[in-house]
Amino acid sequence: MRVLAIDTSLPAVSVCIYDGDAQQVVVRETLPMQKGHAEALMPMMERVQRLGGGFASLDRVAVTVGPGSFTGIRIGVAAARGIALACGIKAVGVSTLAALATPLLFSADELIVVAAIDASHGNVFLSAYNSNGRVLTSPRLISLSDACRLLATGQVIATGSGAEGLRETARALGQEILVDHCEAWPDIAAVAKLGAAADPETAPARPLYLKAPDVTLSGRAALPRAVS
Amino acid sequence: MQALRVLGIESTCDETAAAVVEADAAGRGKILSNAVLSQIAEHAAYGGVVPEIAARAHIDALDPLIRRALDEAGCTLADIDAVAAAAGPGLIGGVMIGLTMGKAIALATKKPFVAVNHLEGHALTPRLTDGVEFPYLLLLVSGGHSQLISVEGVGEYRRLGSTVDDALGEAFDKAAKLLGLPYPGGPQVEKAAALGDPERFEFPRPMAGRRNPDFSFSGLKTAVRLEAEKIAPLTDQDVFDLCASFQAAAVDVIVDRCRAALRLLAEKPPTALVAAGGVAANGAIRRGLARLCLESGLQLALPPIGLCSDNGAMIAWAGLERFRLGFVDGMDFAARPRWPLDSRQDPRWHGKA
Repeated sequence: MRVLAIDTSLPAVSVCIYDGDAQQVVVRETLPMQKGHAEALMPMMERVQRLGGGFASLDRVAVTVGPGSFTGIRIGVAAARGIALACGIKAVGVSTLAALATPLLFSADELIVVAAIDASHGNVFLSAYNSNGRVLTSPRLISLSDACRLLATGQVIATGSGAEGLRETARALGQEILVDHCEAWPDIAAVAKLGAAADPETAPARPLYLKAPDVTLSGRAALPRAVS
Repeated sequence: MQALRVLGIESTCDETAAAVVEADAAGRGKILSNAVLSQIAEHAAYGGVVPEIAARAHIDALDPLIRRALDEAGCTLADIDAVAAAAGPGLIGGVMIGLTMGKAIALATKKPFVAVNHLEGHALTPRLTDGVEFPYLLLLVSGGHSQLISVEGVGEYRRLGSTVDDALGEAFDKAAKLLGLPYPGGPQVEKAAALGDPERFEFPRPMAGRRNPDFSFSGLKTAVRLEAEKIAPLTDQDVFDLCASFQAAAVDVIVDRCRAALRLLAEKPPTALVAAGGVAANGAIRRGLARLCLESGLQLALPPIGLCSDNGAMIAWAGLERFRLGFVDGMDFAARPRWPLDSRQDPRWHGKA
């Protein structure tokens, strides 16, 4: 199975084409950026598909659906769904947290792997996995201190932009958490592998925000009406 | 001329839309499908469009809607000659969804991509519906825009006048909110006005008589508020009369401002007066423009109500007109939240549209 993988959910834009049968990345590109994902993604897609044998060879599109930047998630999902529609193939969604955790799984240390994305104001988007990749804590938005309480029982290695905050908070609570110092965005090959394994029925390419839209009711109230 | 078919995508505000439009060998346009999904219900509770809610709704709805537009047109992407998407102006979160998906479809099917100015979609619609020839005078009135534009060719727009404060649709919505009418306010004000006395309140006709065909609606809105506050608590009849008097003032202003624009164009008269944008669906305004055109002998082109508000057909058609002239865009085309039709700026517009 040949998979096109897309990630625009965190401070980078990544695209790759992955050959599932050979278990090899055919072509990949990643550009770190805080903003400008929308402008960068489609030109990158154009380059990657040109080097990777075009769209006709694809069997599936995988995209990170969050948690992460709301706008970033939607750009990736829009591109993935557009390509799926155009090529008549399935688009699948991959959890950004699962993609962050993937490179740390199946190690000999049997650590609990925690993926944590900084969600500001002392919060993280977090998910925890045992060393076999089984989900221990499903993706959620949680305060750093609640997260540490949740993780108090095991030996933990954390990755992602929220990992350092998690370690500091844990230390203040007398816990020790290991931190994996890799990039703050997922390895696009991990997104592709998870996407190849995903079931399109249960993993739709649909944003996972974990947070309601921020809405403030504003404006003048209506004038009083006469009671008839 | 070669027959062409274009897929159009629109997601700049609170309508998710996709359409397929065709031009025959003679260049005549035909809408093959026009699928629109309005988000009114999602925003109603907040009394206005909430950008994040709009963006969430667009991403969920857009690709099924594109499929529907293709199905209803009885074609597949293989039958499409180009893909067009609105690239602005509008709410950036929504614009990026339609723009990105449009680019992705174009890239994956190896079709040309055309980035369309949403306002150009409105501006060129009468050429699709009525075959209007250049140059013509466009009155563009919506929740975000109030402009008079001389449309001189595809990509050739000369803004004659613009609002210096609120857009007309905004004034309708704010009046409705003040009077406790449900969202969206425009159609509600029109409905209430039908039961009211347009002469009970004497509201100002801002800008009336001025040489420059500009608009100003914030004073009119304030006048409605002051009158309403004076007589509150409001009976149903009060609300009807306030709406009728407000709408009458709006119609007078629109007609007067169109006259001012026509005076500016006296040397090379337009072939027609054309109205577009959501407020162009208002019956009183349509009747006012019909009277004006009857007096002046000018052709009036009013798109059907469904093509006044945002839709995919207008984007497909504008894309088709651009593509026909050889305008295509690259994968690097960036969304433009602000994107005036003309580069001309006048300090009195304060950057408003």
